Amino acid sequence: MDPLLKLIQEYRNNRAQDNSRRHFLHNCTLGLGGIALGSLLNGCQKSQNGAPWYNAERALNPLASLPPPFSSKVKSVIYLHMVGAPSQLEMFEYKPELQKLHNQPCPDSLLEGKKFAFIRGRPTMLGSQAQFERAGQSGNWVSNYLPHFRKVIDEVAFLKAVQTDQFNHGPAQLLMHTGTPRFGRPSLGSWVTYGLGSENQNLPGFVVLSSGGTPDAGKSVWGSGFLPSVYQGVQCRSKGDPVLYLKDPNGVSRDLKKGIIDAINDINFKTYAQQKDPEILTRINQYEMAYRMQITVPEVMDIQSEPDYIKTLYGVEPGKESFANNCLLARKMVEEGVRFVQLYDWGWDSHGTDHSTAVDLGLRNKCREIDRPITALLLDLKQRGLLEETLVVWGGEFGRTPMQETREGKTMKYKGRDHHGEAFTMWMAGGGIKGGAVHGETDPIGYQSISGSVSVHDIQATILHLLGFDHEQFTFDFQGRPFRLTDVHGAVINEILA
Amino acid sequence: MCTKIYFVLKRFWSLLLVFWLIQCSDKKIDFNASVKPILNKHCINCHGGVKKNGGFSVLFAEEILKPTESGVPAIIPGNAKKSPFIQRLHENDPELRMPYKKEPLTTEEIDILTQWVNEGAPWGTHWAYETPQKIEPPKVEKSIRANQEIGIQNPIDQFVLAQMKRQNLSPNPRADKVTLARRVALDLTGLPPSKALVAAFVKNKITYERLVDTLLQSEAYGEKWASWWLDLARYADSKGYEKDPGRSIWQYRDWVVSALNQDVPFDQFTIDQLAGDLLPNPTPDQFIATGFHRNTMNNDEGGTSDEEFRTAAVIDRINTTFSVWQSTTMECVQCHSHPYDPFKHKEYYQLLAYFNNTRDEDTPDEAPNFRTYNSTDKQKAEELLQWIATYGSPETRTQFKKFIYFLEPKYQLHHCENFTNGAMADGKWLALWNNGSTYLKNVDPQGAEYLYFNYFSRENGTTITLREKNANGALLAQMKINKNKGQIGRVPFKAPSGVTDLYIEAKNNALAPQTNTSYLSWFAFLPELPGKNRKGYLKMNRYLQELINAKVDKTPILIENPPFMQRTTQLFERGNWEIKTDTIIPKTPAALNPWQKEWENNRLGLAQWLVSKENPLTARSLVNRVWHQLFGTALVNPLEDIGSQSDPPTHPHLLDWMAVELMETQQWRLKALIRSIVLSGTYQQSSFQEEKKKTLDPNNTYYARGPKMRLKAEQVRDQALYVSGLLSRKMGGPGVMPPQPKGIWAHAYLGDLWVESKGEDRYRRALYTYFKRTSPYPSLVTFDAGSREVCLINRMPTNTPLQALVTLNDPVYLEAALALAKQEVNQSEPAMAIVNMFETALYYAPDSEKLESLVSLYEKARASFKENPQALKSFLNQKQPTGEHLAALTLVANAIMNLDEFLTQS
Repeated sequence: MDPLLKLIQEYRNNRAQDNSRRHFLHNCTLGLGGIALGSLLNGCQKSQNGAPWYNAERALNPLASLPPPFSSKVKSVIYLHMVGAPSQLEMFEYKPELQKLHNQPCPDSLLEGKKFAFIRGRPTMLGSQAQFERAGQSGNWVSNYLPHFRKVIDEVAFLKAVQTDQFNHGPAQLLMHTGTPRFGRPSLGSWVTYGLGSENQNLPGFVVLSSGGTPDAGKSVWGSGFLPSVYQGVQCRSKGDPVLYLKDPNGVSRDLKKGIIDAINDINFKTYAQQKDPEILTRINQYEMAYRMQITVPEVMDIQSEPDYIKTLYGVEPGKESFANNCLLARKMVEEGVRFVQLYDWGWDSHGTDHSTAVDLGLRNKCREIDRPITALLLDLKQRGLLEETLVVWGGEFGRTPMQETREGKTMKYKGRDHHGEAFTMWMAGGGIKGGAVHGETDPIGYQSISGSVSVHDIQATILHLLGFDHEQFTFDFQGRPFRLTDVHGAVINEILA
Repeated sequence: MCTKIYFVLKRFWSLLLVFWLIQCSDKKIDFNASVKPILNKHCINCHGGVKKNGGFSVLFAEEILKPTESGVPAIIPGNAKKSPFIQRLHENDPELRMPYKKEPLTTEEIDILTQWVNEGAPWGTHWAYETPQKIEPPKVEKSIRANQEIGIQNPIDQFVLAQMKRQNLSPNPRADKVTLARRVALDLTGLPPSKALVAAFVKNKITYERLVDTLLQSEAYGEKWASWWLDLARYADSKGYEKDPGRSIWQYRDWVVSALNQDVPFDQFTIDQLAGDLLPNPTPDQFIATGFHRNTMNNDEGGTSDEEFRTAAVIDRINTTFSVWQSTTMECVQCHSHPYDPFKHKEYYQLLAYFNNTRDEDTPDEAPNFRTYNSTDKQKAEELLQWIATYGSPETRTQFKKFIYFLEPKYQLHHCENFTNGAMADGKWLALWNNGSTYLKNVDPQGAEYLYFNYFSRENGTTITLREKNANGALLAQMKINKNKGQIGRVPFKAPSGVTDLYIEAKNNALAPQTNTSYLSWFAFLPELPGKNRKGYLKMNRYLQELINAKVDKTPILIENPPFMQRTTQLFERGNWEIKTDTIIPKTPAALNPWQKEWENNRLGLAQWLVSKENPLTARSLVNRVWHQLFGTALVNPLEDIGSQSDPPTHPHLLDWMAVELMETQQWRLKALIRSIVLSGTYQQSSFQEEKKKTLDPNNTYYARGPKMRLKAEQVRDQALYVSGLLSRKMGGPGVMPPQPKGIWAHAYLGDLWVESKGEDRYRRALYTYFKRTSPYPSLVTFDAGSREVCLINRMPTNTPLQALVTLNDPVYLEAALALAKQEVNQSEPAMAIVNMFETALYYAPDSEKLESLVSLYEKARASFKENPQALKSFLNQKQPTGEHLAALTLVANAIMNLDEFLTQS
């Protein structure tokens, strides 16, 4: 009898045992030895030989967990993206000078040679609509739009002078998440899952949770580009199936589903015996995984079962799609070993075209929606000892102007700000991050950076660094050349590292 | 004894040395085979197209011998010892030794480079840039032929077997007939074969050749291969980017299907798509074909620069053209000379110049569009053109024809500047308030007598005045605008001579300040309709008005700028479109085939240059890609790239033989190429993986077994619908919306909705599923279909639990399972029903072991439903309750449709 088949049959006989999956994979991997790996590896194995993110186990399971090539500070990432670009001037950037200039016409010097998405003609300056106070041991500034956040401000390292060269949402989001403003490249989460796999094989390795709507650039911001599609983000939804097609058909019990999977896999084993195609073994493994995911994913997605004090801490609304729910889910996912959790919260495009996008009205509500959940997330991760092995990143795709928007050159009814990429605020917290640090400074009106300017690629390099990658060496061969997330740019931002 | 040998050796030692030296000098170093790979692997990253550290580059012949920053050349031909290039390889100081801070070269590599420099450092052209030459297929020894049941079917086998022999491999026997029939049907038509066809083949009523020809004649062939081509064409039913609204370009998709079915030769297929508009008297189809390059994305996001995204589209057209036809990545050349291949920075912009003069400008209306009239309007259009031909000049007729069919040429008003009391409103509409004004510069109205303008308005009583140059200039035209939902208006126009600036002014004193008087998007200038005093003139004028405002199917196409609207192409400094430097004239890269004088130096010429028999890359690329479709592996890897960075071809002679054969014998006909491959013995082999072969050739590089692949995303769906009898064979038309889970299109602020199709449109081939770029059909994406934002050469197949969830739980697949089960519901003997379902799906009866697994699933399911009537009642939300028997059979069908055998072709 074929030794591999024998191993598999042994496994099937023992599959009731708890640790059998690991045992099976381990033996199979050894058994496979040098023989053909799955189709996944055919494309890239050769050009990537010696790269640490490939081994035989990946043939059976492309999401098998792998050690990072360098020492890492964190195991997983929670990335909170405020879609539409939040106003730094109402949240973290205290600019009393701008206040003094409120309602004054914008001087030519600020407009010359500049392009704006919507400002036409001469706008006026718009002072911050929020009140600022120092908080925590660090004494860093935060506005009254974020009263809870004060509690965790010392966990956070601010980047006050982030710069992007894209001032439209779609391209800027793509740049932030894929390293280029155009389509076709893998997202940050895909790169990370490709490099490290996932620690929990019963859950997707790269999970996307959104509230309020999808990002402007669409699903490409969590796409896998030229990486195999298995590394793309899997959207977990609060309504309907948490993962598409996860739910068994009506009337089909778990036991019956097990019967279906068993029949499929039994016959596939027989086919393997006839055809000897190792890809069949991969398929068998994938069906086993699918069956287990059907149990695990709804368990993780169920926030109802969390204790009340946790629900209160985050301010969750079970059954609804909310950022608070997503923050709690992110914690649960990371706890279960999911590698990369990407949150998108829609509704931050504060142009002042209506109530909901006014910086003194709608923005305040948006801040209220995230303030408590983010604070809870950092506290909760910390109390579980997870914060030191998790990186939390917060930001948007760009920032907003210190000028009042003048769309079509008209006076607007509400207070709003246009897109602005030259200087905006992001923050990071968690493992390897120097809490309480502030890096980068902008001019007295928060328009341009004076020092410590960092690029989008620098942020990506830093995230990869904390996960144990050198962003210059972490490449994938495509079209005859090695590609990397940071293209030919990027430097690790050492100033915020512990 | 030993002493004796020593003496003999001593005596001959010098002789041996001389002999050895002669041998060596005889065998000159082959630059391409030996030197270039070392340069590419170890040197070119720092000394190439991107970086030229120390002023030294090994990318081009003329660069390698140039003095470096040190003042002297790094390579002194004929003198390795004095060449710093070689000296630096031997350095001990890590600061000096090359490759810098990397592992030193091996002795062998250093020897090769040394010998090469000593031989004068001759340069060589890479094989990929030499025109493929006709090669005689190798003779294959009888022993091999005799071993093989299939024998040599055609010359492809001779090449493959000769290579196999060198690897100590021998071919597999022929696949059994059922497997082969299913394999070739799925490969040629994307669908499983009909039962009758398989039966005829199995019973020897038709030959394999006949089977292949039947499949090639099926219309399903064009649909199957269209999904391959549409990946390259980045076809989608939406515009992409942030707003991603719908786009009506399905006529291009239908054109591809039909061109493939008609087997339009690939040279014509190419010319029609790249430059159909520039052919003499193009047919409507040839215009529609140019939709290939209108599949670029269009950015409607508020606040974006149209020129930025027009440029992005042009750049995408060059990159796609070179990816598709030349297997060359031009992207890098946008910013600097190619890091590895012989393409210079400037050459990129010379190519850009070919594409830079089309009328499209990233406007939300996606102009220019081909306007397909309904039959009544079409007749009116022909009547009108006939009238113009009778009473006007041929030039006037052409002018009106262009206007009636594409509303071109026109000036888009997003070029307006210097606004007073007004601005461009969202959607690129010129919106002036009362007393508002703006300028449209450098307009050439060509002596026109009428101004046509596209507008809408929410207000009554606006006057828009056009003056020459400025507010005090001569009055050129005046339009009265009232409330209107949108139309093309016309007013008399007094054309100034030559090129001028238009001053545009709006008046409407009744409006509140900062209120938009009207919204205008473009101006067009035309002469008066000829035949003014003739009977019927009024009718013709009415026709003209009706036609340009008629409801039509629009398809974005390419139209070249008329001479008076030409754009100048300039080099972008380091790829930045906003920093333009030298003016550039269109030209093809020097490393490729020469230009023929008879070609016009425009897009049409470029297309002809690409399909010239002298072009080294077009036929090779096509052969390589078609081969990959059929075998799952390519002759040159990676599939995207044929050039200095690609692996050497696994079968170089076969590649070139097939390329020449395609151009000469097969006359660029794709069906002939595909036919020759599937008729080869190589293709017909069984895909069984023998242990020994797995060790010797794990990736089947040498084709000692037949292909086995997971079905492509479209095939997974189409097959399920086909075997269950649900598949609609309706062809063409706008994209359809089969069921998908709720909330997939959760676009934040657009009203676009996924409106589930009714009737047979729910069961169309996946090719016709509406393709929204920011949110493609989820089950297709799970099976590795791309998002069609950019050209996709190679879908990398994966194998994931999410795929299992689709085929197990997606209602589309459950519906198919139910339909398959219903076919056998009257068969009271469960085992018999299961055998029949299995046969319908896989064309053979299951053996007892497989049957046993399925029967026990049936029994388990039946018992379970019996125990739980509530579960049965809710099963699949059927209006009519399903009986236990049917429900159990459905689950068995679901299992069959999840088998590896079903999801793959072997």
